[in-house]
Amino acid sequence: MTSGIAATPGLATDAGKSPERLLAERTARLEDAFALRKPDRVPIIMPASYFLAGWGGVSNQRLAEDDDIRQRILEDAALHFQPDSIIGVFNDPRAPLALGDRMTKFPGHGQSENGPFQFVEHEFMTPEDYGPFLKDPADWSIRVYLPRAFAKLEGLAALPPLGMAAFGTYNLMNLGGFRKPAIADALRALLAAAEGQAAADAWNAASAERLAELGFPQPPLVGSLIEAPFDFMSDTLRGMRGVMTDMLRRPELLLEAEQRVLDIQLEHAIAFNRATGLRSAFIPLHRGSDGFMSIAQFERFYWPQLREMQLRLIDAGITPVCFYEGVWNKRLDYIADLPRGKTIGWFQRSDIFAVKEVAGKTLCIMGGMPNTLLQAGTPEEVRDRTREVCQRVGAGGGFVMATGIGEMEGCRPDLVETWVQATREFGAV
Amino acid sequence: MSEELVDAIADMRDEEAVELAGRLLEQGTPPLEVLEDCRKAMAIVGQRFEAEEYFIPELILAGETLRAISEIVKPRLSGTDGAAKNGKIVLGTVAGDIHDIGKDIVSFMLDVNGFEVFDLGVDVPPETFVAKVREVHPEVVALSGFLTLSFDAMRDTVDALEEAGLRGGVKIMIGGGTVDENVRAYARADAYGDTAADAVKLAKSWTGVKVR
Repeated sequence: MTSGIAATPGLATDAGKSPERLLAERTARLEDAFALRKPDRVPIIMPASYFLAGWGGVSNQRLAEDDDIRQRILEDAALHFQPDSIIGVFNDPRAPLALGDRMTKFPGHGQSENGPFQFVEHEFMTPEDYGPFLKDPADWSIRVYLPRAFAKLEGLAALPPLGMAAFGTYNLMNLGGFRKPAIADALRALLAAAEGQAAADAWNAASAERLAELGFPQPPLVGSLIEAPFDFMSDTLRGMRGVMTDMLRRPELLLEAEQRVLDIQLEHAIAFNRATGLRSAFIPLHRGSDGFMSIAQFERFYWPQLREMQLRLIDAGITPVCFYEGVWNKRLDYIADLPRGKTIGWFQRSDIFAVKEVAGKTLCIMGGMPNTLLQAGTPEEVRDRTREVCQRVGAGGGFVMATGIGEMEGCRPDLVETWVQATREFGAV
Repeated sequence: MSEELVDAIADMRDEEAVELAGRLLEQGTPPLEVLEDCRKAMAIVGQRFEAEEYFIPELILAGETLRAISEIVKPRLSGTDGAAKNGKIVLGTVAGDIHDIGKDIVSFMLDVNGFEVFDLGVDVPPETFVAKVREVHPEVVALSGFLTLSFDAMRDTVDALEEAGLRGGVKIMIGGGTVDENVRAYARADAYGDTAADAVKLAKSWTGVKVR
């Protein structure tokens, strides 16, 4: 097998190395950065996502839905650009489409074949639902929430109270109701979604294995997916408008609900990581950044719960990888207070130099390249930015170069090349 | 003017504010006066937002309070609110993008600062912007977008206004999650802003309103 490097000029330092050796070197480079050690050079992760469609000459929909095409383009891009790790399309449409998911939009479904994946926020949970939710989150989720959030699961609303299952043989008298067409349809849709997701999981595993054979390790955010308790209440349940009014109108209920979803998610993440052997939990953060809430509100509704989540993950041997979306410039002291060397922070638009200064001894920093520059900048601007970030944020280690956003759709391939090569050139600091 | 009503709205005592507005109307206070109190209260909310005393929870709650009061005032209104406006602004999230949080905050802040805002909503195609600009002749067009893909849609919208011969008559500002100077140059807009307060400052400077 060849490493494919010879095809790309300007990458002489890795020329002639076997994929096995490249895999070992890249893995060590990333592990060193995560552990706040100084790697041989700054590692670079390319969160390509739908960039791969434009680059591979297929529609977004084809990329998302054709397993073979998706893998071929992903491999081609990895070999062409030679990052230390690459991330393909993150969200698989199979299960959401099988269930009539009302909170996601995929290319070719309700939009053009080149439309992007988008999350559509709703207020699926009303203020009146806090009571039933807190009393029995599982029962409320299955009989009330799922029918609202997924068109094909509306039949679940007709189920009897789930706690009746504990009535053993006597409850079997209620089973006849499960043959109602609406319930049967919902159960069939669930089975179809499970099969779709299993196929997606199998693809992901095979894809990771294949990339490893080519010399590319998995990125650190592969693991369980959970959210800050506030974001969990906001994104998929109350919607931002709902949760923000709850902060002022019913703060105690919101806080109690946050504690419940904190415990539920930790139980899930710990079990998931134990079952899969994966070592990280990815936590994309949405509403805690500067601008959404005051510092006083942040200290009451957002950070204590997120901090507890991270501490308990660390205790369980799991590395929290937080995506700090938006700008966190006024909240860096909180991040700096996390246990040293135990977490990774991917920063979208925060001042990356301030992040290094305030929290650089606490956590591994990911990010540094604005997507806008790879889309609308010049090669000189890209090189200058890369040099400055490598020298200032890469100094002493604990840094992984990446775009600010985990979606490179619209980036110019020539600028991406410039960026990856400049990271090699200036990253040996 | 009812200072009590203005304070109740501005201080986030929403239930009290709605109750009070109802009582004032029952007692014969002219509906336009109640609306004027609301406007004053919203201006205070806007100032506190700019001063970073208030954040999005307060903006949303104030908006809901205003909506609730408007509902009880409206049936009693005969004419229209004739308050003079500072200028007209056509606003929307560009084609292909359905994010509305930033756009809504900008809309709110422009409105409480005396601008007449024509909010076209989300996923707005260039031709819809062109039609609205042709119809209402705004001084300012404001384009919002959160996705990286919105940069192209912003440029397409600016191009469409240009092709329609309307570009010279308007100033165009852009904003949203990842918008910066690179995007402004790419889309050929007149300016970009990081915050809703930036949008207000730009609009005021372009329409000749004195900036505080």
